[in-house]
Amino acid sequence: MSTNTTTMDVFAKNDKISNIWLILTLLVSLFGLYGLFSVLINGHEAYGVTRTVPWGILISTYVFFVVSSTGLCLVSSMGHVFGIENFEVIGKRSIILAIFTLLCGFGVIALELGHPFRMMIYNVISPNFASAIWWMGTLYGIYLVFIIIEFYFLMNHNHKGAFYAGLGGFLAGISAHSNLGAVFGLLEARPFWHGPYLPIYFILSALISGSALIIIIFFVAYRSPSNMPEKVVKVLKSITKIFGFLIGILIFFDIWKVITSIYGAPPEKFEAVQTLLSGQLGVNFWLFEIALGMLIPFFIIIFTKGKNIKASLVAAISAVIGIFYMRYDLVIAGQLVPMREPAPGAHVQGALPNGLVSYTPSFTEISIVIGAIAFCAFLYLMAEKYLNLNEE
Amino acid sequence: MSENSRALKLAEANQKLANKRKGAKEKWGIVLDTSKCIDCKACTVACKMENYVPVGFYNYRIWVAEDTHYAKYPTVNRSFQPSQCQQCENPPCVHVCPTHASYKTADGVIMVDADKCILCKYCMTACPYDARYESHTTEAIDKCTFCYQRREEGKDPACVETCPPKVRVFGDLNDPNSEASRLLAENEYTVLKPEKGTRPKLKYIK
Amino acid sequence: MSLLKTKLNRRKFLAYSGGTLAAGAMASKFSTIKAVASEHSSRSNSSESKNVPSACAICVNMCSLFADVKDGVIHKLNPNHNFFKSRSMLCARGNAGAKVPYDPDRLKKPLIRAGERGEGKWKEVSWEEAYDYIVKNVMKLIDKYDNRSSIAFASTEGLQEEFFRHLTSIVGSTNSVRHPTLCLASNIQGYSSVFGTFPDADIANAKFVVMAGSNRAEAFITPDTIDLAKNHKEQTFVYLDPRATKSTALADKWFPIKPGTDMAVVLAMINIIISENLYDKEFVDKYTHGFKELANHVKQYTPEWAAKESEVPASEIKWMARKFAENAPASVWYPGRRSSFTANDVYYRRACGILNAVVGAWDRKGGLIPKSGISLKSHEFIFPLYDRVKNRIDGGKVDFAGEVLPEYIKSNKGMPKDKVAYLSESDGSWVLFRDAILKQKPYPVKGMFIYKQNPVESIPNRAKTIEMLKSMEFTCAIDIQMSDAAWYADVVLPESTYLERWDPAHNYGGAAPIVLFRKQAIKPLFDTKPMKDITVDLAERFLKEDDFWTDAWEEDKGYLQEYVDTFKNNSMEKIIEHQVSGHPGAFKMLMEKGCFYETDKIPYGQTLKEGARLKTKSGKIELASVRYPEAGLHALPVYQKPSEAPEGKYRFVVGRHAQFTQANTQNVPYLLEAYGHYENMLWIHPKSALKQGLNDGDYAIVKSSVGEQKVKVHVTEYTRPDTVFYLHGFGRLSKWLSNIYKVGASDAEILEDYAETISGNALLHETFVEIKKA
Repeated sequence: MSTNTTTMDVFAKNDKISNIWLILTLLVSLFGLYGLFSVLINGHEAYGVTRTVPWGILISTYVFFVVSSTGLCLVSSMGHVFGIENFEVIGKRSIILAIFTLLCGFGVIALELGHPFRMMIYNVISPNFASAIWWMGTLYGIYLVFIIIEFYFLMNHNHKGAFYAGLGGFLAGISAHSNLGAVFGLLEARPFWHGPYLPIYFILSALISGSALIIIIFFVAYRSPSNMPEKVVKVLKSITKIFGFLIGILIFFDIWKVITSIYGAPPEKFEAVQTLLSGQLGVNFWLFEIALGMLIPFFIIIFTKGKNIKASLVAAISAVIGIFYMRYDLVIAGQLVPMREPAPGAHVQGALPNGLVSYTPSFTEISIVIGAIAFCAFLYLMAEKYLNLNEE
Repeated sequence: MSENSRALKLAEANQKLANKRKGAKEKWGIVLDTSKCIDCKACTVACKMENYVPVGFYNYRIWVAEDTHYAKYPTVNRSFQPSQCQQCENPPCVHVCPTHASYKTADGVIMVDADKCILCKYCMTACPYDARYESHTTEAIDKCTFCYQRREEGKDPACVETCPPKVRVFGDLNDPNSEASRLLAENEYTVLKPEKGTRPKLKYIK
Repeated sequence: MSLLKTKLNRRKFLAYSGGTLAAGAMASKFSTIKAVASEHSSRSNSSESKNVPSACAICVNMCSLFADVKDGVIHKLNPNHNFFKSRSMLCARGNAGAKVPYDPDRLKKPLIRAGERGEGKWKEVSWEEAYDYIVKNVMKLIDKYDNRSSIAFASTEGLQEEFFRHLTSIVGSTNSVRHPTLCLASNIQGYSSVFGTFPDADIANAKFVVMAGSNRAEAFITPDTIDLAKNHKEQTFVYLDPRATKSTALADKWFPIKPGTDMAVVLAMINIIISENLYDKEFVDKYTHGFKELANHVKQYTPEWAAKESEVPASEIKWMARKFAENAPASVWYPGRRSSFTANDVYYRRACGILNAVVGAWDRKGGLIPKSGISLKSHEFIFPLYDRVKNRIDGGKVDFAGEVLPEYIKSNKGMPKDKVAYLSESDGSWVLFRDAILKQKPYPVKGMFIYKQNPVESIPNRAKTIEMLKSMEFTCAIDIQMSDAAWYADVVLPESTYLERWDPAHNYGGAAPIVLFRKQAIKPLFDTKPMKDITVDLAERFLKEDDFWTDAWEEDKGYLQEYVDTFKNNSMEKIIEHQVSGHPGAFKMLMEKGCFYETDKIPYGQTLKEGARLKTKSGKIELASVRYPEAGLHALPVYQKPSEAPEGKYRFVVGRHAQFTQANTQNVPYLLEAYGHYENMLWIHPKSALKQGLNDGDYAIVKSSVGEQKVKVHVTEYTRPDTVFYLHGFGRLSKWLSNIYKVGASDAEILEDYAETISGNALLHETFVEIKKA
């Protein structure tokens, strides 16, 4: 493998990316500056999180980003780590987006944490090996290093290097990601989250996110299937089929999650799932999570037998939107059942007459989320425009 | 000196004290007889004064809630449930804290090292009792510390000391002769959410 | 009677009554001290103090405490574990007191009104300017009306109140008016007519307690509250109240009694106890007077009749009576405190006292116990004796006295119509007093000094109080916050808060008396003075005004100078030392332990000894009163049916929550959040809410014949369907009470201004209101 890369190999202008999109995404991400300044000036009071719902849309957006990142890495590792030749072509694009989504996720979490810089210090000098967040944070840090190295090797056509870095990324990614699931799953206080389900579900979810995003970014790169090389079309069809297959499994997972939360009305689980089925998060759940996130993509892929890539794009976009809401629903539903009954004198924040609590994201939080997503898109478009992301 | 810095000073002093008391052998707990409670809220106000907890409806370390299950006219029988951080022997908040900011002292008190707290709020979602809150004076998580600063003077926590009918009895559960231990030996008692396995150190006498 | 003799009698009267309360051994007087001790009380080095002994001032219990002062800032107030009367506690309000000196809304500088009365425009002035204004206006009024009593002096209790009472004597007015007739005057009167004194209840040792209308869990936290709570497992506690207050948490039984009918239950219980021969015959024979008349009188009050009146089941009344007798002498019908309920209260309280007496539960363990005190050395200041003084406006014969009675009681033969039978010379009767001022009968009262009290929110019919204040030509308020009364004043003087001053030792009488005092915890934060300094300063000013002395005797100026010198030359610490000098070791104990007492054990049986005499006319426990018939009152407790609610209206009752003291502390944010709401709410039973079309959280207009208020609705099972309530002290008119200015509803605005004419006590539960959705 030649390691003599020329500038021509690294940088290449992709005229299919119009400047209009670049400017648009940049402007929308500037919208996020409102939120940034709001929290810098007013502190965390600018957020809608409460004592009873301490994790809000910023956490769910972080989860959305890192799950996407991990998914991208996992799907692309089928090529560079596990040697499925078809998949090698998605390498650079997947990894660069994996890097950007992770960085944006870190950005969002930095704003969510009260003391992000302290974390970097005390995670190192005072680590708690029993803490799922510690493992998640540390492993994602390692993962980031690995995928950056992997990207470097990919750009230099160093396939051996890419293999090892990719393997490291794969392992770190899976561990970090299941630990993210464990962050929720290890809490006995929260029956809706507790158990081995979430670490497993997250991996499945990552694969779906990753597949969907890969389909999308290739359309961004080539504008239409007619511009795509044969290799690309082939891999996108494969990914679509995998994508559809995994959504089918996900639907199965979700059905059982709901049944086990309703059957016998297990305390706290039952009320939590009711917020999804018929409560505060009802629209989120049925319209976005189920319809957009699962049913529409699934049926599109079934009916097109995965052969229509344009239809896959629609499925992918629908799925990504749905997945964003899936993260939100998961994080919020687990907190809507308060730990104490909202009786007189209990001062349970956000209490509703039905005994649950409520959460509404504040304008600051929403602007940060929109800004982060737009900025991630902007970064990717910049990379797509100015870097050579095609495989030889 | 502002209220903020007083709160921080207290937090730091408590950290130092916890360090100093590394060899302590006590196991502090509180035994409550809530049938005496009249919901006068002396404890909640005393706590705020003693620990520089700022004004704010949801800034509080301890609370007194009403049990409204027996409120049907004309057979009303009101009853009240004071509570706070349970200072669990198996504390989920300590297990989950990434930086060991949340820790247990040698004598069984769960504290937050305000310097190390990154405000990830994992401990808040981990706590089954909604005992913790974000303090804008220490800029860290805050919760009941059994008024740890009073350990040196041998004084009871403010809520225990100020209570008119003495609902709470504070004491060393490792010492069979302490009033708290004797109350537990002589009475049936329950704890909150025993099924979570947290082994709380707030014991409610029946 | 020659003029000289009259003057001498008045002098003696003024000298002994100056600064004292009418009831009980609760006087604190000062001793003459040799000159030349330097004044240092306000300059004590409290910034280094760690634990300063003081006493709470948020309510009348004055629980002794230690102020934990760090770097010159009050950190916390801790209960004084030596002070057995507080049973080692400090309540929510007491704890919040640590923030009182730092309250952003407190008064910081003397103020003189710069706009219209009630407009709220103030000009900050120096103390000198304020004093000029006061002295000028006082003299102007005295001259204009040729009467020093044209200036009224309104106050409420406190360790510095006696200095305000001294000021009253210095100015020479007889029109002092205080809070007991908004509170417990009828209670004191009723029990005194039986026992000669208003007793304590030995709740700590009682086995059977009946508490009616008193809400020990939420009104003041007293030792009784604590003893009821601590002993609730061993004690049988029956609670009668139209509302299920938090006291039900301690009660074995709660009966939602029909308001105004408590007396029926008491009389029926006495009926049972006598008819079933359960009374203490030996005790009755030896210590009481009038049993035969009583026995005859109560025959008509059967439990079945009482059950119909009160809606407490007859079987329960019988059970209560039998248990009451069975547990005697450790049985008590709890006297309570505030008794300003319904018109017949004095007779009702008599009946309660009689109930305890017939079972011998008097001056014995677990029963009613007469109070005693610890004697402190006093100085008998001689205050000037003036000529241009008229008798108090609500004293003696008052033609319109009958007008304050509710209609239904006017036909009751035992209720005077032309005077208040037992008016206290120092306390007056606020409702009648205000009417007299408004009518300008028997003469105009056009000046008012108000210390610590807030008549605007404390007297029923707020509009009338404001009318009274507006009719004044001069009003001076002395307070720590801009109360609604101060809001309508012309000059406001800021007093130093209780933690910023030394206060004289005070004998707190009771079953087991104890002495407390205050040491300055921090130096005054702002330009404020204690009442003592204000009185001394004003005395000095008056001394300089020759025209002030035209109707006084020569030596009066000298006596006043002596008064001034006493306080100028002696620190409060020295004064306290002298006060307790009659008890060896007392001063040391005060300074170290924050309180002084000789024993914490109740000395039972002092009045049951051979030769002991009660302060009644017969010297015995008067089941049938001897002096009452002489005053035209019923000798025996005659039941009076309470007023019936007009169609579609509800009875409004007044009550408390444990987080607030009267109308005093609602502005404190710590207490508002402890209360759980930032405004008060109307308690209404679900059935009644349905009838009025109200839902929980709606706003309603509550309207009486004197006013209306808008208030949030709280639908609750905790009240009778015919009774509504909202908490006292909200809906305020002073903008400087920033958290409660026009927030919530004022009960003073809607309460009709009735009073009874035996003790002059206001009647706060005689108002019927209509309720509509807002």
